[in-house]
Amino acid sequence: MTAGPMAAGPITTLAVVHAGLGSPSSTQLLATRLAEATQNEVARRQAPDLEVRSVHLRDVARDIADNLVTGFPSARLREVVESVTGADAVIAVTPTFNASYSGLFKSFVDVLEPGSLAGKPVLIGATGGTERHSLVLDHALRPLFAYLRTIVVPTGVYAASSDWGAEGLPGRIDRAAGELADLLVGRAAPTPTPASASIEDFVPFDQLLAGR
Amino acid sequence: MSSILLISGGPSPTARTGVVVSHVDGLLREAGYGVRTLHVRQLPTLPLLTEDLRDPEIGDAVAAVLRADGIVVASPVYRAAYSGLVKALLDMLPKKALRGRVILPLATGGSQGFLVAMDYALNPLLAGKGADSVLRGEFVLDSDIDGGTIAPKAAEAIRGAVDRFTPAVEEARFRRERTRLRPAG
Ligand SMILES: Cc1cc2nc3c(=O)[nH]c(=O)nc-3n(C[C@H](O)[C@H](O)[C@H](O)COP(=O)(O)O)c2cc1C
Repeated sequence: MTAGPMAAGPITTLAVVHAGLGSPSSTQLLATRLAEATQNEVARRQAPDLEVRSVHLRDVARDIADNLVTGFPSARLREVVESVTGADAVIAVTPTFNASYSGLFKSFVDVLEPGSLAGKPVLIGATGGTERHSLVLDHALRPLFAYLRTIVVPTGVYAASSDWGAEGLPGRIDRAAGELADLLVGRAAPTPTPASASIEDFVPFDQLLAGR
Repeated sequence: MSSILLISGGPSPTARTGVVVSHVDGLLREAGYGVRTLHVRQLPTLPLLTEDLRDPEIGDAVAAVLRADGIVVASPVYRAAYSGLVKALLDMLPKKALRGRVILPLATGGSQGFLVAMDYALNPLLAGKGADSVLRGEFVLDSDIDGGTIAPKAAEAIRGAVDRFTPAVEEARFRRERTRLRPAG
């Protein structure tokens, strides 16, 4: 283990965002499993405890739609957005509707400032009725989070109805959580960068080599 | 006369997508078509984003899609894809709802590169709802829309799209009526 001692470091936070609609919601269940697994994996790496903040987008659906029109979040939505943009890592889980993310999930991403998640480690997950739609991860969610310039862990987790209680899912959850934990451990909160990083930030290569 | 539905996915009727949609509405009316515009944002929010089909206004919107011979789907490009509001509405359509209807996609966005992004995202979604006649759409740059007016070159392109759209809609309606008139069995 190469991570140094972290006991005195700042609290590490994990935002867990899900767009489940049903009750009970399989999307919520997957989000919870992923969060627990990530906490375990972080603990296994002898890092300080994670503070987990859960966001159920259904609760702020109206606020999200209003924000699209007014351009401003309600106080409640602002708190939700800040808990996500301010976290050290994000777990994002959507139900699969028509082989893609849901309208609610996308609408939440629509109200986030494009640069506000830049550089953040993200674990993507989706639930669905059929196994055939697991490509929602690589065809819909991954491009979306690439656009937001996040660092998406290699393993995404898709859970079809038939996956629950079956072999395979717990292993995939643990692998994805391990990958997220690796990125989290020893990592301070990334500062969001505006969408257009300015030319002043550019350090010429010779200065880099000179150890500037 | 064919019936045409305009689906406007912009945040408000005066935002750029709304401007394009009302421009298209004018062109279609001039040509004598019966047009209805559905502003997705004006549907009840909570039932829309929670995909609740029991809501009467949502049910009415879905029924309007099922009556249309031709549908213009206009969306702003948000995060390199269709807006969440457009996604929510299309999700609620029954399976194969778009079969036999002519679809004209329109998008507004900041850079031409998003045209490709939009195709990548929108076409599979339309196909998933049974669309078998999706025309080449138009992409209108934000910089070509100033207040309520559209720059001449962009307006010309939109007119071209409408000119592709209307004959295809007529043909689709003709085919549907012929199928309906044909004796069963
Ligand atoms: C409008 C709608 C469309 C759906 N489309 C798909 C689909 O394309 N592929 C799929 O696997 N499941 C599909 N489903 C099933 C949902 O993805 C599945 O029930 C989801 O896990 C529900 O999540 P929840 O329990 O958290 O609400 C669809 C469900 C609805 C309501």
